[in-house]
Amino acid sequence: MVIEAVKLSVSYDNTQVIKEVSFTLAEGVVAVVGPNGAGKTTLLKAISGLVSYAGSLKIMNKDLRDFSAEERARLITYVPPLVDVMPDMSVGDLILSDPLVSKELLEEYIELFELSSLLKRRLSKVSSGELSRALLAKGLSKNSKIVALDEPLSHIDLRFQLILLKHLRVLSKGGKLILVASNQLNPLLSYVDRVVALKKGEVVFTGDVASFLRSSTPERIYGVKFEVVFKDGYVDIIPRELA
Amino acid sequence: MCPLMSSLEIFVLWRKRRFLTTLTLSALILAILFFTHLSLGYSVMNPLNVLLSGITQLITGSLGIEGYRVLRALTAVVVGATLALSGYLMQLSTKNPLADPYILGVSSGALFAVSLTLSISGYVLHPLMIGVRTITAFLGGLIAYLATLFIASKAGMSPTSLVLAGVAVGTFFYSASLLPQYFISRDIHKLIAWSMGSFVSPSADALILMISALLLTMSYAFYVRHPLNNLQVSDDFVKQLGWDPARLRRYSTLLASLITSFTVAWFGVIGFVGLAAPHISRRVLKSSELVFVLPTSIILGSALLTASDLLSKVLVAGVEIPVNVIASMIGAPVLALAIVELRRYGY
Repeated sequence: MVIEAVKLSVSYDNTQVIKEVSFTLAEGVVAVVGPNGAGKTTLLKAISGLVSYAGSLKIMNKDLRDFSAEERARLITYVPPLVDVMPDMSVGDLILSDPLVSKELLEEYIELFELSSLLKRRLSKVSSGELSRALLAKGLSKNSKIVALDEPLSHIDLRFQLILLKHLRVLSKGGKLILVASNQLNPLLSYVDRVVALKKGEVVFTGDVASFLRSSTPERIYGVKFEVVFKDGYVDIIPRELA
Repeated sequence: MCPLMSSLEIFVLWRKRRFLTTLTLSALILAILFFTHLSLGYSVMNPLNVLLSGITQLITGSLGIEGYRVLRALTAVVVGATLALSGYLMQLSTKNPLADPYILGVSSGALFAVSLTLSISGYVLHPLMIGVRTITAFLGGLIAYLATLFIASKAGMSPTSLVLAGVAVGTFFYSASLLPQYFISRDIHKLIAWSMGSFVSPSADALILMISALLLTMSYAFYVRHPLNNLQVSDDFVKQLGWDPARLRRYSTLLASLITSFTVAWFGVIGFVGLAAPHISRRVLKSSELVFVLPTSIILGSALLTASDLLSKVLVAGVEIPVNVIASMIGAPVLALAIVELRRYGY
């Protein structure tokens, strides 16, 4: 198992945001879904070693706390949805600011996310989608075994959503575990292997996409009735009415 | 452009060339200002002769007019560099392009602490006092900085709330620093001249100590360049490099306050250089990369203060205008410009 969490809890100011969750995850693309405030970001940050936690979290059969900061930095990458930056930073400055990235991969991702013409542009002058693509290029170029993408679909357009999701499948075939926190079940769930569903800090479901969609979990966590269409290996999830 | 180069390679080359051009031009401007500074004064002298005889005098220890001019010009260069570095570190650690030791009240805090010590001890220019002055300046500056950060954090820590908190703290300490002056009878004129910023009494000891502090702080900044670059983006990125952002801020803040306090202890309050030098550097370089911004800021800070001191001694014949008056008149418009720009970017 790549990740093994046992009774994992995270608290901010005495409020438990993640409540004694236990799950295991193997290589593949994993959708982390759940309503606003369910704890998706916090779970991703805990796995990435960015917040302190209680309980046990093993990465590749080794306790996360036993990794050195550098080992952890190479093994796991967390990519935030957007960032506030100092005004004069350029897109190029941003994606070159991590000493652990591979230059070759960076060039591939500049191509993939069509950033070539944006490198000199100041971050204060790019759109949120362009900033999001730059953050993805920076994060993915580290070539980490585990990649935690926080809301990567929220700002990029449909074309780049598809480019990203198809690419993540290729990466997962190469032995990576990629966590994607998002509420955009369309198109996300057509491209993932497993689903981890959160509600109020608890993991209420882990399993494959078909069982997730056939269960009552989506309706329960979102409070919405869905119509689900399976077609040619893809799924279409249509929210119909409030439950 | 060579068609075989990738867009990334072209960008990296463009950024580096832009840096080297900017650095060369800034160094040239600094050199011209430095030699003009050596040349002008009560009498116009050949700057090369001043430099050569001045250095000889500094080495032998028998200071004449040439030695004095060299020492004063070097002091302006080093203090300018120090304030630029201090401002840059404060900007990085607060993620705020408007930060500067003067604007955030650090200089005024240091000024107050020194004024208070002097008024209690009654001695102004006793040589033994300089160590005490430095330590009290550091403590005063640090307390003022922490007060500013505390108030700003209660007000949401936006760039403008930090500046406003700095104005509140700075005004308080600056006004408080004027009080002790009324209780000192000895050397009152020297004290007032010092508090407004002056290089009239340069000292070789001060210069050596400031150069050491400057080099130490620069080495630290270069050593932590990767986390400092990422501190401009997100604390999460700093953590992902294996660094603790809180600790990084703490050390940067301490060093910035320390080197500012050295300049205040000897040469009084000089504002806006720490704001203007990094701001102009980033704007001209079109980059925020520390490896480029730091050296450019340091040279531009030196040039700004050398120009200010030059003007302060030649603007009115026979009169030394406080250097802070000139430096602020150059630097304050940069602050105004920076505020307007920030607003345009939606801060």
